[in-house]
Amino acid sequence: MNAHHDSPAPTWRRRARRSTLWSTLVGLGLTGAAAAVVWSRRDQLPDQVATHWGAGGVPDDTMSVTGMIVVATATTVGLLILFAAIGLAWGSSASTRRTTAAAAVWSGALGASLLLVTAGFQRGSDTPDTATLPGWALAVVLLAPLVPAGVAAFLVPGDPHQPAEEPVDPAAPRATLSDSERAVWIRRVTGGPGVWIGVVAVAGIVLLSLLTQLWVMLVLAAAMAALFAAMFAFVVQVDSSGLVARSALGWPRARIPADEVLSASVIQVNPLGDFGGWGWRVGFQGGRVGIVLRSGEALLVERSGGRGFVVTVDGAAEAAALLNTMADRARSDAAS
Amino acid sequence: MLWTVDPASDEPLYAQLVTQARLAVTRGDLTPGERLPAARELATSLDLNVHTVLRAYQQLRDEGLVDLRRSRGAVVTGTPADLTAVEEALARFVAAARQARLSPEATTTLLQEELKR
Repeated sequence: MNAHHDSPAPTWRRRARRSTLWSTLVGLGLTGAAAAVVWSRRDQLPDQVATHWGAGGVPDDTMSVTGMIVVATATTVGLLILFAAIGLAWGSSASTRRTTAAAAVWSGALGASLLLVTAGFQRGSDTPDTATLPGWALAVVLLAPLVPAGVAAFLVPGDPHQPAEEPVDPAAPRATLSDSERAVWIRRVTGGPGVWIGVVAVAGIVLLSLLTQLWVMLVLAAAMAALFAAMFAFVVQVDSSGLVARSALGWPRARIPADEVLSASVIQVNPLGDFGGWGWRVGFQGGRVGIVLRSGEALLVERSGGRGFVVTVDGAAEAAALLNTMADRARSDAAS
Repeated sequence: MLWTVDPASDEPLYAQLVTQARLAVTRGDLTPGERLPAARELATSLDLNVHTVLRAYQQLRDEGLVDLRRSRGAVVTGTPADLTAVEEALARFVAAARQARLSPEATTTLLQEELKR
């Protein structure tokens, strides 16, 4: 009854190609346009432009205009290749395609804002020595690219509802529930090494902003603190509707409807080896989306459309058994 | 933790929740300071009226197992107990009942009669 029945390649690859293509082009376009603007105004810039600033916003490194454009463009292209590769190889879940598209547009916007801000306030000056970096410049360079990145994330469509066509893996564990029994499994996951990485990172930025007296960096510290707070406390819930893992702040959130579950099981996770770190992650194996807060026991959900989801949580065996049972019930509800 | 309710059971729905929470506290599956799920969420997941869950939480409060606060919801205050002796006695009881070829129903009835004494 479904169109993707007769297509051997998972349909997510087409979606991944589409979102990767447009986001890479937008990223390239943003940096390219900024580079063209700076190049066309190069006679208004000093021969050597300041490109790096030490404490107090005093320039301590310079480059030719051409050099600056080449470095900024090459950095953007490098990041675009990285994010395109991640999106194409592992973009089976919409959240991954959304993140890589946003990251690509962010890279392009960062290259553009670096070029425009750096060149902008050195216009008309003869020597780079007087080009003191205004405090707001850093804030603009760091925060402005988040706006188009947010728009890009919003424009990537979510996964359509893809009810599985095959039954739940008969070998997977089941919960012992009578037919009339209702059940919910709820567990909080918090902490792990990621919290300490976050605390150290935020403290480091606060310290740096105190030393350099660049107060705009406190904005960055606050943004990072919010990000880490959202990443390192989750509630995992399994009930008749399926699985929900949501941050204690309400966002981000992963939801897997029971009728999309192929099989739930327990696996052992190595955060660095399997996911390259902690937090909301995309895994090296088949683009599994992971909420990875610690090593060890985790719930693995294999899902329709070639997708996979992992969350490190205690008591994962109980959760897996209940989710398989709820997936069975969703199949028989659909059949009746 | 796993919460279940069975509408087909004779035990009232709220009492089923109380029994599970009580056992979870005794076993140490719910530890002091841990928060119980928001009543509204538990009610939605189990397809219950929110008053059923609130009634269970109030009973748990009356038994001194949780603290109900408007801001933080239901927080576990009860402490675990050592169930080793009970579990050992139960295992011996079940083994003896099987040896005597008692049906599970008859075994349960025996246990219930003993509890009433």
